[in-house]
Amino acid sequence: MLSMLMTTEYAPAEERRELRQLLLRVAGGDRDALAELYQRTRSAVYGLALSYLKNAHDAQDLTQDVYVQVWDCAAQYRSTGSPMGWLLTICRNLCLMRLRREERHAALSEEEWDAIPAQECGLNADERTLLQGALASLADEERRIVLLHAVTGMKHREIAALLELPLPTVLSKYHRALKKMRIFLEGDDAR
Amino acid sequence: MTNEKMEQRLAAALEKTAPDDVSGVLSRCEARKGTVINMKTKKTTKRSWTSLIAACLAVMLLGGGLFYQRANAVASVVSLDVNPSIELKVNRSEKVLVCTPLNEDAKAILADMSNGADLKGAKLDVAVNAIVGSLVRNGYLDSISSAIMISVEDKDAARAEKLQRELTSAVDGVLQTSEAKAAVLTQTLTQDAAREQQARENNISTGKAALVNRVLALNATLKFDALAKLSVEELKDLAEAGAPAMPIGKDAAAYAAEQYAGTTALDSVTAEVDPELDESPAHYEVELHTAWGEFEYLVDAYTGKVLSGQKDLLAAASTPNATTKPAAPSEAAQNIGHAKAKSIALNHAGVSENEAYDMEIELDDEDGTLVYEVEFKSGGMEYSYEINAASGAILKHEAEIDD
Repeated sequence: MLSMLMTTEYAPAEERRELRQLLLRVAGGDRDALAELYQRTRSAVYGLALSYLKNAHDAQDLTQDVYVQVWDCAAQYRSTGSPMGWLLTICRNLCLMRLRREERHAALSEEEWDAIPAQECGLNADERTLLQGALASLADEERRIVLLHAVTGMKHREIAALLELPLPTVLSKYHRALKKMRIFLEGDDAR
Repeated sequence: MTNEKMEQRLAAALEKTAPDDVSGVLSRCEARKGTVINMKTKKTTKRSWTSLIAACLAVMLLGGGLFYQRANAVASVVSLDVNPSIELKVNRSEKVLVCTPLNEDAKAILADMSNGADLKGAKLDVAVNAIVGSLVRNGYLDSISSAIMISVEDKDAARAEKLQRELTSAVDGVLQTSEAKAAVLTQTLTQDAAREQQARENNISTGKAALVNRVLALNATLKFDALAKLSVEELKDLAEAGAPAMPIGKDAAAYAAEQYAGTTALDSVTAEVDPELDESPAHYEVELHTAWGEFEYLVDAYTGKVLSGQKDLLAAASTPNATTKPAAPSEAAQNIGHAKAKSIALNHAGVSENEAYDMEIELDDEDGTLVYEVEFKSGGMEYSYEINAASGAILKHEAEIDD
């Protein structure tokens, strides 16, 4: 066989094994394991939540909900599946449910992108521009794909599976999004 | 700036803005929900008294005025049953008057809606949507074989039919957008005082009582109160199988598996039980989640005998490679099946079913162990898996570029 052997996961096997171990401990009621899982995965979960809810405050709230749900349902995690994928699927479902609920209460007009939390969090000017300005220049799905790729280290194929999109769509959106961001940050000649 | 650098900066910025409140999360994680679905139907004689008093009070309050009376008159009773049983009383304009959790599981489902009080005054479809959402979130509708039953009870058969249709499509909608795969069962009922009495005595909905009666009609030697403790999925399958005998129930099945595995003394072991009463032989599929892996047991649904699975896990865990050993000698006929083997492989590969093509699944005998060989292609890659046909454990997996 000439073809290259590949792992089927986004993360180094070691990290994946550790996350899996943490989930099993969470399933057994270990609170320290939940705390560690939270520390290791919170930015990924938050990033995905932000891409759906579009504002920092709601995304922070929802991130907390995700871990409460993980605590309640960890036993349903199948140790054959990707732990990060499982975590993010929960996050995605909660986001979609919340958006549906809001749709019912009030037909919200297209919500503005607002990624800077109200409380001080030590962002420098460059980071603010990137988070607020550059990401605002993207369409919803482009933003989601870029965030997932940047924060979770997932492969495009895995992002496609999580978001239920075809792989070529994810790839083209990803490249278009990065180009748009570069244009925003560096001007038109960035092409 | 390179793409990579830009992504790194983005990750750093998100790291700063992501919430960092472990104690906030932990403070909300007090009550541990069991994974074995309990059907606690505490029989309290008090309950009927309190509801009688409540009913009297309600009648007194309703005496206030004709208009008030009409808006608050119960036109239909809708019940949702999975394992949690929830009853909604609705007026003529489909507004919820009361939402009642009928068992302990239902209370957990309604916990973040103030035990159902938040749903008062809501339109029925909104309330049902919220409840189904919570059922999904709590993992009740995950498995492909789980079932939710919607029963509508109304004197007016036409109105019951109409409500039924609306609710079914609302529930279908929620299930489609989430990853739940449960079946939706529906029935319309006319009011029946005797059934209401039975339902109240067993803390179940009248809808579930009707299902129990259907099973009883097939086998009169079974007991109403024992059947009332089964889930909708079990009752449905039992009815379809002709109700040959009384199933042991999920709790007993989990216990039988744990005893067989020798893990009853370990608190860290949790069990997930999936009834397969429609298969032959009828059985419960019990998955034990342990610190050293996941093990599957098949427990005969009527006798409680363990049909397959690995015995004495503690002894086996100390020897390396325990999980890849053949599980038990007696399971020639017991295996996870093509569909399960396929989903295990797809799940592991992180590929959804509609992205996979050239799927080939074969059952093969490898040195006395039955294995499923699953091969498929997706996204320019070729995947091949060997899966233990009894335990579902992945024995070997490979992914290579498809050329």
